Amino acid sequence: MSNISRRSFLKRTIAAGTVSGMILSGTNKFALASQRNLDQVGTFIDLTKCDGCKERDVPVCVSTCRTKNKSKFPQPIENIQNYWPQKKKEDWSDKKDLTKRLTPYNWTFVQNVKVDGKEISIPRRCMHCDNPPCANLCPFSAQEKTPEGPVVIDPNVCFGGAKCRDVCPWGIPARQAGVGLYLKVAPKFAGGGVMYKCDLCYDLVKAGQQPACVEACPNGAIFFGSKEEMLKMAYERAEKIKGFVYGDKENGGTSTFYVSPVSFEKIHEQLEKQKSKQPNPDAPGFPTMPVNAGNFLDTANGVAAAVLLAPVATAFAAGISAYRTMKGEGDE
Amino acid sequence: MANKEKITRHSPLVRLIHWSVVFSTFTLILSGMFQLPLAKRYFIDQIPGLTWSSNYRVTVMLHYIAALVLLSAVSFHVVYHLIRKEFNLLPRKGDLRESYLIIKSMFGFGEEPKSDKYLAEQRLAYVYMAFSFFLIIVTGIIKIIKNLPSVTLSDGFLDWTTNIHNLATFMIIFGIIAHLGAFVIKANWPLLPSMFTGKVDLEYVKHRHSKWYEKLQK
Repeated sequence: MSNISRRSFLKRTIAAGTVSGMILSGTNKFALASQRNLDQVGTFIDLTKCDGCKERDVPVCVSTCRTKNKSKFPQPIENIQNYWPQKKKEDWSDKKDLTKRLTPYNWTFVQNVKVDGKEISIPRRCMHCDNPPCANLCPFSAQEKTPEGPVVIDPNVCFGGAKCRDVCPWGIPARQAGVGLYLKVAPKFAGGGVMYKCDLCYDLVKAGQQPACVEACPNGAIFFGSKEEMLKMAYERAEKIKGFVYGDKENGGTSTFYVSPVSFEKIHEQLEKQKSKQPNPDAPGFPTMPVNAGNFLDTANGVAAAVLLAPVATAFAAGISAYRTMKGEGDE
Repeated sequence: MANKEKITRHSPLVRLIHWSVVFSTFTLILSGMFQLPLAKRYFIDQIPGLTWSSNYRVTVMLHYIAALVLLSAVSFHVVYHLIRKEFNLLPRKGDLRESYLIIKSMFGFGEEPKSDKYLAEQRLAYVYMAFSFFLIIVTGIIKIIKNLPSVTLSDGFLDWTTNIHNLATFMIIFGIIAHLGAFVIKANWPLLPSMFTGKVDLEYVKHRHSKWYEKLQK
């Protein structure tokens, strides 16, 4: 190959760089969409006001949620197969009445703990995280972080692999076998049903209304509004009672903010003890409250810049190598 | 055999890029499959040495690191050959017909047309693979960006991204099977050592790649 001039080398490098640059940066215009989270909604749960509706069998928020979402609850087939080759399946259809844990038929429940002589009741459900690993890591994009903030599962796409539950710091989504898309593909070999969880009454939120639990709470312990406003209210309340906030930092930020008069470390400790006494302590559906729980994607996101920039560096290396070999061949 | 004259077909750099693509692609396929909840269900994580396979934390990182290698190799490949103006692998007019003639001759019908450095069917296979890798890389980059805390992309856009990423995975697996399947055919065996040693037999080149041989003589 003949000698190439510095000018033609530069010209070709720029041309090559433009092509690879287009390939690599073709997505930049979509990254700007992140600005939209300004209008997101959130909730503030004041644990000084929630008494867990102790005079009732079932707390009002729980019973209201069950009534509101009844039409969305799973209706599985009869004779559900095991998850071959495993000899098990997750079938809650004969335990629909359970109200003291999360199940596909119970999307919120109230935990009661005693810390420093104070009785604390904690309504639990999906936290609707800012950067939800459940939605990010779903292999079929069956979960969505909606523009309004709630994280919702599409029951028509979900295959029931339960990865969302594994990557959620609280293990919130609950699986029901014998329902959903997997039945139409290869039900014996792949898929496990559909995952169910609180969607913050997304239909009501979109219609400009409050979630059912907020509306129903007899003690006015759950507040609903813009996320920014809820966060502000939570910190103001925490300051007033010299209390603590949970949900702002956890999992990289959520849109559910709990305020408690006692520390969440102590609440978490009590919940851990309660969980260990559950019929199956390892089973999800009884979330604890790990303080400052990290986001599942923190480590991967830490190397994201390297993954995206490495090809730019190798493009330069390729340019230099090509130039040298061409020069070399020309000199021979 | 040892005295056979050889000719250089792939430089060490080209071979390094090829094997970087091979190892990163296999790691990506494997770690990608393990993003589905199958390692635990099918007891793959019970196999000694594969206990990590059901740990999404490990498999996601593995996927990212292998992606770094693949992206780097692809970027190097594109830029290096563009600057050197080496377009031997790009399809030419009549490649479809020529491929048909080559395959026909393998079954003993007609004479094989003279080939350049690459066979017509290799040039077509290259375009197929390049397109598949383009799809998987672009959608993969979107998926990496989507995972960042400050980024929220629309659901419809992400549905497309996910589906294309999953489809491109199968396009690549099919491509690899076809690529390796080509070596079942005896006529292609002399090409095999060139991706390890860089060299092919001169006699083979004279016989089958006579157009390339003529160029090398100039």
